[in-house]
Amino acid sequence: MMDRLNAVQKTVFAIILAGMVMLVAIPLLFFITVSFSNSTEMTQFPKNIFPSGEVTVYVEPKDDGKYELFYDYQDGSGYTSIITTNNASKLEKHFARQYAVVMDGEEILEEFSRTRTEGAREFTFRKDMFYNFKQFFKIVPNAGVALKNSIIVSLYTILISLSLGSLAGYAIARYQFKGREQINVGLLIVRMFPTVGISIPMAVMLIKMGLYDTMIGLAFLYSIPNIALTSWITSSIFIGINKELEEASYVFGANSIQTFLKITLPMAFPAMAASSMYSFLTAWNDTISALILTNENQTLALVVYKAIGTTSSGIQYAAAGSIVLIIPALVFTFIIRKYIGQMWGGVEL
Amino acid sequence: MSYLEIKNLQKRYTAKGPLIVDNMNLSIEKGEFIVFLGPSGCGKTTTIRMISGLEEISGGDITVDGESIVNKLPRERGVSMIFQSYAVWPHMTVYDNIAYPLKLQKLPKDEIKKRVQAAAEATEIQGLLKRYPAQMSGGQRQRVAVSRAIVVEPRLFLMDEPLSNLDAKLRVSMRTELKRIHTKQGSTSIFVTHDQSEAMSMADRIVVMYKGKIEQIGTPMEVYQDSATRFVAEFIGTPPTNFFDASIVREGQEIYARGEGFDYKVPSSLHSALAGYAGKEIDMGIRPEYIDILPDQRKQDGYFCDARIDFVEPQGSHSILITEIGANKNVKIHTVDHMDIKQGTKVSCHVKNGMVMFFDKESSKRIK
Repeated sequence: MMDRLNAVQKTVFAIILAGMVMLVAIPLLFFITVSFSNSTEMTQFPKNIFPSGEVTVYVEPKDDGKYELFYDYQDGSGYTSIITTNNASKLEKHFARQYAVVMDGEEILEEFSRTRTEGAREFTFRKDMFYNFKQFFKIVPNAGVALKNSIIVSLYTILISLSLGSLAGYAIARYQFKGREQINVGLLIVRMFPTVGISIPMAVMLIKMGLYDTMIGLAFLYSIPNIALTSWITSSIFIGINKELEEASYVFGANSIQTFLKITLPMAFPAMAASSMYSFLTAWNDTISALILTNENQTLALVVYKAIGTTSSGIQYAAAGSIVLIIPALVFTFIIRKYIGQMWGGVEL
Repeated sequence: MSYLEIKNLQKRYTAKGPLIVDNMNLSIEKGEFIVFLGPSGCGKTTTIRMISGLEEISGGDITVDGESIVNKLPRERGVSMIFQSYAVWPHMTVYDNIAYPLKLQKLPKDEIKKRVQAAAEATEIQGLLKRYPAQMSGGQRQRVAVSRAIVVEPRLFLMDEPLSNLDAKLRVSMRTELKRIHTKQGSTSIFVTHDQSEAMSMADRIVVMYKGKIEQIGTPMEVYQDSATRFVAEFIGTPPTNFFDASIVREGQEIYARGEGFDYKVPSSLHSALAGYAGKEIDMGIRPEYIDILPDQRKQDGYFCDARIDFVEPQGSHSILITEIGANKNVKIHTVDHMDIKQGTKVSCHVKNGMVMFFDKESSKRIK
């Protein structure tokens, strides 16, 4: 197919493809850069594509024992005065907050004292690349707990939607019963409801059940659309599994539970992996339902969301929080990628 | 009492639906190789599935060794099966596939290993035990299915069109191999097929089925030469039997079967059977190889018509001649003596050795 494209088509195709890649890649790169930038880099324009690992300041000694600090804008407009001080703790805070350089104030002063003999000069310090991440966990004190909560609620969601959804999917695929079509359509309709809409009545129910502000309660909510999705995905796979494979198992000595566990389930594994990824992402990325259904036990996505709202001074901390949020999702996706690949690319059932 | 007894077996899928299997009665001796033969939809696969327990029965009884199995689960029946799609589990290695039934029986590990090895050797796949089915050809997968079926040493060995997914060459060699395995194992086997040459070459006895009913049970030669119904005569044999509409006429001592374009003097052995049909219409069937042709239009004993050869289909060892006799525009004649027969040759047709079959128009049963 590709071989038959002529040069013009190829070029157009390449441009479109490049454009699509850029659309995805540039914001992502920017986002990663921001999460590694310090406060002063944030105010720069145009921004560096890659965050620098060093900070250079220009220091001029003053007569009253103070030093005047200039920060290099690197755009040819020269040095801009930032602060004039000889207070060690003030200097330490300034370095940390503005430049993400973690250093003892006294040490910085000692470095600067060289200007007394050598005259005004530049100093280069190494940036703490993970300052934003550390700071994120510092500003948001419950971030660690939230990460744990997120993992728990995701696992619950996967568990509930897989166990119920795959059984429903199996029934829809294998058995003829009254209302089968209606249930199939009904499942789709469940997907149409926005989870926020379900959250409010769900909150009332969970309070009555004593499950408000618990991870299992939240997982119940996330499972609602995902049970439907899981049964849709798995039923299509179960239909594709030749019935004779199960019948062979019955003939050769297995009962129905053994057959399901040893024959049907392993063959439906790619579908399970795919739908568990969907379940995971729903639970992992949701903020609005978590906002309604939790109080103290917040999830990581919610915490990041709140951090963006509250840390007005540093968008870079929120960016770092978002990276923290992305990493487990990436890891999970990569682990099950191989099984999903099987579904789309060819194990013969 | 026979080893496997099927008594008045019935099957309908819905309560008021048609009978898919209609009052079937069959006795099979221990060690026999039985082939269920019939066109698709004749109930042969349904029957074998009822024996295996994968399909519930609607009526009747099935006994093995004097003991009814109809209320048992498939796994309690001691049957093994080869499926049309092989049903080799794609997520297990060949070894695990063959060992699966033994593992479920909770046999000790070294015994499982020994028996899997033996079963694999019987089908010559001992070198493939670590492979996955996806890495194997159709024929090899078929062998895995056979190994898995023989490893359990079943009371009944059921095969549901196991060769139909193989290519023609492999099908023929697998036939011989299955037969060899059967001879070695001696297990009572039921083989389902719609391919008559498969049935003829493998069966001890063939059960010809049509529309849920057994048309004839007999050895391959019996169903071929001594077909019990018009359907059997038509279904078995390539090319199929030629049929003519004939009326029976009695003239003095002789009986003639006459129709449009032919006049056949019925051999005296059939006189008593045809006595009641004088003046009636019947179906006359002659197999293509039982029509003798004489090129010079001589008339000998068994003569029934003159014909002009419309087409000649040479097959190497023999030729199929196509001609038109009366209303039947597609009469086929199998001839070995074909060197000087060309399109347009005028010949006289004779029935060889009185090998003619008459069938009742209404019941389509053989008149003999």
